[in-house]
Amino acid sequence: MSIKDEFTKGLWQTIPPFRLVLGLCPTLAVTTSAKNGIGMGLATTFVLVFSNLFVSLLRRFIPNQVRIASFIVIIASFVVIVELVMQAYFYPLFKILGIFIPLIVVNCIILGRAEAFASKNGPIASLADGLGIGLGFTISLFVLGCIRELLGSGTLLGVSIMWSGYEPFKFMLKPPGAFVALGILLALINLITQVQARKGGGK
Amino acid sequence: MRDIIKMIIVLTIISAVSGLVLSLVYEGTKTPIEYQIVKFVKEPAVKKVLTGYDNDPIIDRKKIIIGEDELGKPIELIIFPAKKAGKTFAVALEGKGKGFHGLIGVMVGVSKEGTLLDIGITSHSETPGVGSRVTKSSFTNKFKGLPAKPGLTVDGISGATYSSKGVMSAVNQAIGYVNKFSKEIF
Repeated sequence: MSIKDEFTKGLWQTIPPFRLVLGLCPTLAVTTSAKNGIGMGLATTFVLVFSNLFVSLLRRFIPNQVRIASFIVIIASFVVIVELVMQAYFYPLFKILGIFIPLIVVNCIILGRAEAFASKNGPIASLADGLGIGLGFTISLFVLGCIRELLGSGTLLGVSIMWSGYEPFKFMLKPPGAFVALGILLALINLITQVQARKGGGK
Repeated sequence: MRDIIKMIIVLTIISAVSGLVLSLVYEGTKTPIEYQIVKFVKEPAVKKVLTGYDNDPIIDRKKIIIGEDELGKPIELIIFPAKKAGKTFAVALEGKGKGFHGLIGVMVGVSKEGTLLDIGITSHSETPGVGSRVTKSSFTNKFKGLPAKPGLTVDGISGATYSSKGVMSAVNQAIGYVNKFSKEIF
């Protein structure tokens, strides 16, 4: 696969929460608004890109038996960096995302990519993979956040856009609303894939 | 055996390097983080209790040492001065008092002449709807204009006696600091 393919596969083919169905905990928990989704997505992308890069660079030095421990140390370091920088410059967002920032350490997407991809591929391919998967994750969280914010509070990125008499559908902001929104999105994506496959088969 | 030594060395190096990097990042972000916490946690209360200033009390904040804890470490108190034409005419500072559930933090504004300007509750964990009524302006307004002398009392809220007393003791603590350290504060 070329570098470009490594990057673009994360955006549709293996878009994390929908196709890989990994990293569901932050996906469901923080997407009460589009802004939170972007913040969480970008924080994860940062960690993913750099952990992929460093795991890939160090892959020949790390003995196989301690690879998971080494990966976690690398990932945790970047998570702490994100946490401190966010606290210093984006304090309101840091307050909202709260415990989910330190929990990026245990996000299975990141360890999954380190183990499955970066430890077997070169730094540039790993960088592209991390960036693609990270952006895919950000887009997914943004879309999910948009849907829940629009229905749950009648706003989009904090701007009120529903008609004035709109009664916010509070359910969408609660955890069950997250599952419902995710389920509908998953169904839609599967539908699109099926239609595409049928078209491809017809040719 | 060689494998084990290699494992130990690699893991040690990775951990040491990441520890070093993290300590550098920590040092670099320490001051902005402190500023952010003060700004977002204390600023609303400071703005409520101080009026008519032309400086930024958050930037001009100063720390005074008010004592030592058991380990001999200095206890610091943050003072937010309100200045007009460069002169401090009032300060805001935080006192703490024991309420019904834990400590109540109260930001207290005191003028140079020794009058209470206003108070604002910064943190509390009182019972919602009962003890939490002390955060309402109908209660906090009772402190406005009182002389800032120790032993100050106001009428408590019926049903929220402990919470009211907690706020009063917090205010008294802040007043105590002002009287004790008035030279450093003004």
